[in-house]
Amino acid sequence: MTTVSSTLGRIVDGRQRRKSRWLFVIAVLLVLAAAIFALTLVLGQSFTPPGDILRMLLGETVPGTSFTVGQLRLPRAVLAALAGLSFGMGGVAFQIMLRNPLASPDIIGISSGASAAAVFAIVVLSMNGPAVSVVAVVAGLGVALMVYGLSFRNGVAGTRLILVGIGVSAMLESFIAYILSQAPAWSLQEAMRWLTGSLNGAQLGQALPLLVALALFGGLLLHKARDLDALRLGDDMAAALGVRVGQTRVVVMIAAVGMIASATAATGPIAFVAFLSGPIAARIVGNSGSLLLPSALVGAVLVLAGDYAGQFLLPSRYPVGVVTGALGAPYLIFLIIRVNRSGGSL
Amino acid sequence: MTAHSLSVSRLSAGYSDADILQGLDLAVPPGRITVIVGANACGKSTLLRAMSRLLSPHKGEVLLDGKSIHRMAPKELARTLGLLPQSPIAPEGITVADLVGRGRHPHQGLFSRWTSQDDEAVADALTATRIVDLAERPVDELSGGQRQRVWIAMALAQQTDILLLDEPTTFLDISHQVEVLDLLTDLNHARGTTVVMVLHDLNLAARYADHLVAMTQGRIHVSGRPEEVLTQETVRQVFGLESRIVIDPTSGRPIMLPIGRHRMADNSQIKEMQP
Repeated sequence: MTTVSSTLGRIVDGRQRRKSRWLFVIAVLLVLAAAIFALTLVLGQSFTPPGDILRMLLGETVPGTSFTVGQLRLPRAVLAALAGLSFGMGGVAFQIMLRNPLASPDIIGISSGASAAAVFAIVVLSMNGPAVSVVAVVAGLGVALMVYGLSFRNGVAGTRLILVGIGVSAMLESFIAYILSQAPAWSLQEAMRWLTGSLNGAQLGQALPLLVALALFGGLLLHKARDLDALRLGDDMAAALGVRVGQTRVVVMIAAVGMIASATAATGPIAFVAFLSGPIAARIVGNSGSLLLPSALVGAVLVLAGDYAGQFLLPSRYPVGVVTGALGAPYLIFLIIRVNRSGGSL
Repeated sequence: MTAHSLSVSRLSAGYSDADILQGLDLAVPPGRITVIVGANACGKSTLLRAMSRLLSPHKGEVLLDGKSIHRMAPKELARTLGLLPQSPIAPEGITVADLVGRGRHPHQGLFSRWTSQDDEAVADALTATRIVDLAERPVDELSGGQRQRVWIAMALAQQTDILLLDEPTTFLDISHQVEVLDLLTDLNHARGTTVVMVLHDLNLAARYADHLVAMTQGRIHVSGRPEEVLTQETVRQVFGLESRIVIDPTSGRPIMLPIGRHRMADNSQIKEMQP
């Protein structure tokens, strides 16, 4: 027989253990991301002494380093980290909200929407630069709204939204294929970047809008984290706990799409990062505490590591999207089989 | 404990435009156990959903202490009225204590942290449902009966004076059904929690209800003490079933025995067997 006080002690212990595990995971992921970030700066085609990099970061002009690190490696690493954080957090927000790991923006057409619009803008409208990004973000939001609207019937059921999204995504992919088949060679190069996602030609100037979007939308998501977490118990249970389900959905959707579309505008849709980060994070933190931060960090690690591997660890140079795509596709198959079997949710 | 009053007045509600509930009135006796029964699709679950704000009424109101629940802040309502829906979802890998702790949601503000009061509520809920030893186990490893106790513990951690449950015994074998209903009765006796639940099994309903409500076609057909409600007449009108009502020697409550079309013993045998 347990007394009330010892029960209380066990509850407190268990909760603190879960909390410290969560904090530990966050710390490990932070260290890991920082390590790959540092590696990207220090070791590329050539080795740059960390001392030189530090001096450069402090504002000195170091011959050689200022170009290789300042102009090439640093923008690349910063953009990789920011895009990874955005994809990771935006993706898991969708997966939690719809209680299905397949509900990631790259599966339900939001990324294809951004890509299709960007390709259209480049090839047909001959646009370039930031204008293309704006078009991509707006199109991502538009497709999200369309998928949401098409799957609305007495509220939105996760499965229906996913199926509609996959359909819309397929349509957009064929639209992209059609545009590319018509594209003149000179715009093909630029358009291709929007299909796999790449950090080639990254510039620090691209990082600022992404950072702003991340702070704004990420802050909004973290603000809603607890309500979002309650949605995992089912819409009815969440409502019974005093969550405004519809309002939470709308806010989470806008914030997540905003993040994903902004990141897509900067780097192209880096394949499967939004899709992979949440389930990996859930596996590591063991499903206690919010998944938003762990998943964002996993996203950053994936993009940083994928880009580094694509540049230096593989026989020839690949854009980061090819590497993450190769990781993601088998996982997608595994997940479909498993979800089929257990009906499991994230 | 203050007894809150919950009542429904001329309520019409349903999905899209169709009214499943048609001008329904119901007063829930405070501090008692109310059980709602009725045929499939008669609107039992719809009523429970409307009473817990999951569904907005087309007409009429649900009143908590004389105030329309649809005009209350969701969290304020969730501190007085709890609901255990038919199929809540346990996130993969979540532990019992963690899940039960989610019941504290309406007590926590935007920035307020987990307090010792929250810990106490969880410990209390686990003790009352006798699942303290399962606290650190993942919910997906538990049996159906244990899992249902976990969900009830979560509803208890919410510390509401009124608890609505939508078929809390579905998918449980008979011993676990009785266990869950005994547990809810314990809570009602010990804390004066007003319990309102939908049950399928008429005999268990009559056994555990203080107040039995029989619904048909979106309306209340009859309500009152189980002896008044569970009659051959009611069963015929509500379920379209011929039946015989006897008295349960253990509880003194009525028991409904269905009369089908087969397996009839002849009359002389029945006469002999009747006490």
